Amino acid sequence: MSDAAGKPAPTGRLRVAVHAADMLRRTVLSRVVAEAGHFVVGAQDAADVVLADGDCPPAEARPVVTLGGADHDLPGVLSRHAGASQIDAAIRAVCAGLIVRSPDTMDAGFGAMRETDGHALLTPRELEVLATLAEGMTNKAIARRLNISLHTVKFHVESLFRKLGARTRTEAVAKASERRRHETITL
Amino acid sequence: MTDQADLLVQFSNALATRAEAAKNAVVAIRLAHGRHITGMAWRSEIVVASEQSLPRKDDFEIVAAGGAVLTAKIAGRDPGTNIAILRLAQSIASPSIAAGEARTGAVALAIGADGTGGASARLGFVNLAGAEWHSSHGGLIDRRIVLDVNLARREEGGPVFDAAGACLGMSTFGPRGQVIAIPTATIERIVPLLLKDGRIARGWLGVALQAVAVPDALRESAEQSSGLMVMSVVEGGPAAQAGILAGDIILSVDGTSTHRLRNIARQFGSDSIGRKADLRLIRSGAVITVQTTIAERHAA
Repeated sequence: MSDAAGKPAPTGRLRVAVHAADMLRRTVLSRVVAEAGHFVVGAQDAADVVLADGDCPPAEARPVVTLGGADHDLPGVLSRHAGASQIDAAIRAVCAGLIVRSPDTMDAGFGAMRETDGHALLTPRELEVLATLAEGMTNKAIARRLNISLHTVKFHVESLFRKLGARTRTEAVAKASERRRHETITL
Repeated sequence: MTDQADLLVQFSNALATRAEAAKNAVVAIRLAHGRHITGMAWRSEIVVASEQSLPRKDDFEIVAAGGAVLTAKIAGRDPGTNIAILRLAQSIASPSIAAGEARTGAVALAIGADGTGGASARLGFVNLAGAEWHSSHGGLIDRRIVLDVNLARREEGGPVFDAAGACLGMSTFGPRGQVIAIPTATIERIVPLLLKDGRIARGWLGVALQAVAVPDALRESAEQSSGLMVMSVVEGGPAAQAGILAGDIILSVDGTSTHRLRNIARQFGSDSIGRKADLRLIRSGAVITVQTTIAERHAA
């Protein structure tokens, strides 16, 4: 810890040890780290930062960025579903001696089952339109894909904006994925 | 004047005496980087802790009252009620715990472990004492107890006492840092089950669901305005075996409408395993009924 705070912030390529019990996750995370321009080093090698899928080994003395770990006192706490840009930003920031939290982990905590307000529920058709928005499709392309009129597409998009409280397509997609993460239940 | 000062001194002394006595009620559970969280000394060999903050591993080091370091093994965890239990390698002194009834506005004393065998104390109020509730993980919590107490991460999992010294429950964090207590009644209900099986069995269909509005054209035949759309189906799970498809909208389970999630959560308790359940659902614009057999959910 004192190293990270004392030395000038490492720039450029960092040495990152990836810790993951699951082999597939380790492969995926290693690729994310490498594609962000960093070196993936062995678990025991000298490293600037450890990227841990879930909990890290208790004896870990290097700065850690955890993805979905239970220990919320670590320097970097991201959700298990953090994307490549968040992971890259977090390992750089933690190496610079900063503390990193994502809003969804701040929101974590033992909570009640959420009941969605009935008026804000999306219809199956709206979910389909949303999926096409997430792909960045234009209204014309959506109309063609779903085999509906351009007018109907505009109607659904407006309804989505209203129900999600969004002003742009990007915002609608972001809010819907947030909601989906909170409200998807498994039975 | 002197009488008032005496009252305050008495109040302060009484709290300090309580905090001192409560150090036997907590243990520190060691985590990485020299940190710890708190556990409740539930019985001489059993520690209760906050499931959400306990790393997913089997062996832990515990610092008991007075500073003795012991080893402990996970004996069970239930994300549904946020209760985990650890079995100690050696017995420790544990106080007898009397269940208290939370009342809004009553004084609450939350005790944490300091990591070296002593206790830390937090004073506040019961901000809200409400009805039973269902957690997002499907567990039933006997009462909603929200505390107006500052709590450090290391103090999570400790007991919360009322003015009479009765235990209101175990402190833990709700969403957005809210401090809540898992009621003593819930712990008393769950611990014996965890001791027996190591987990709380829950029913399982093998589907991920999201609430959706029923399209206008189908509301009349569906007889309700919302349902749960199947977003994914676990391969080989009960739903898959019954032919449930992604995109189906489940309207009811054995006649219980999916309009309210908590009513559905009730349908999947441990007694549901092995039961046949009729799912009424919308598929391709028609309302149909599909029968499935509820299986047991395995740890995620």
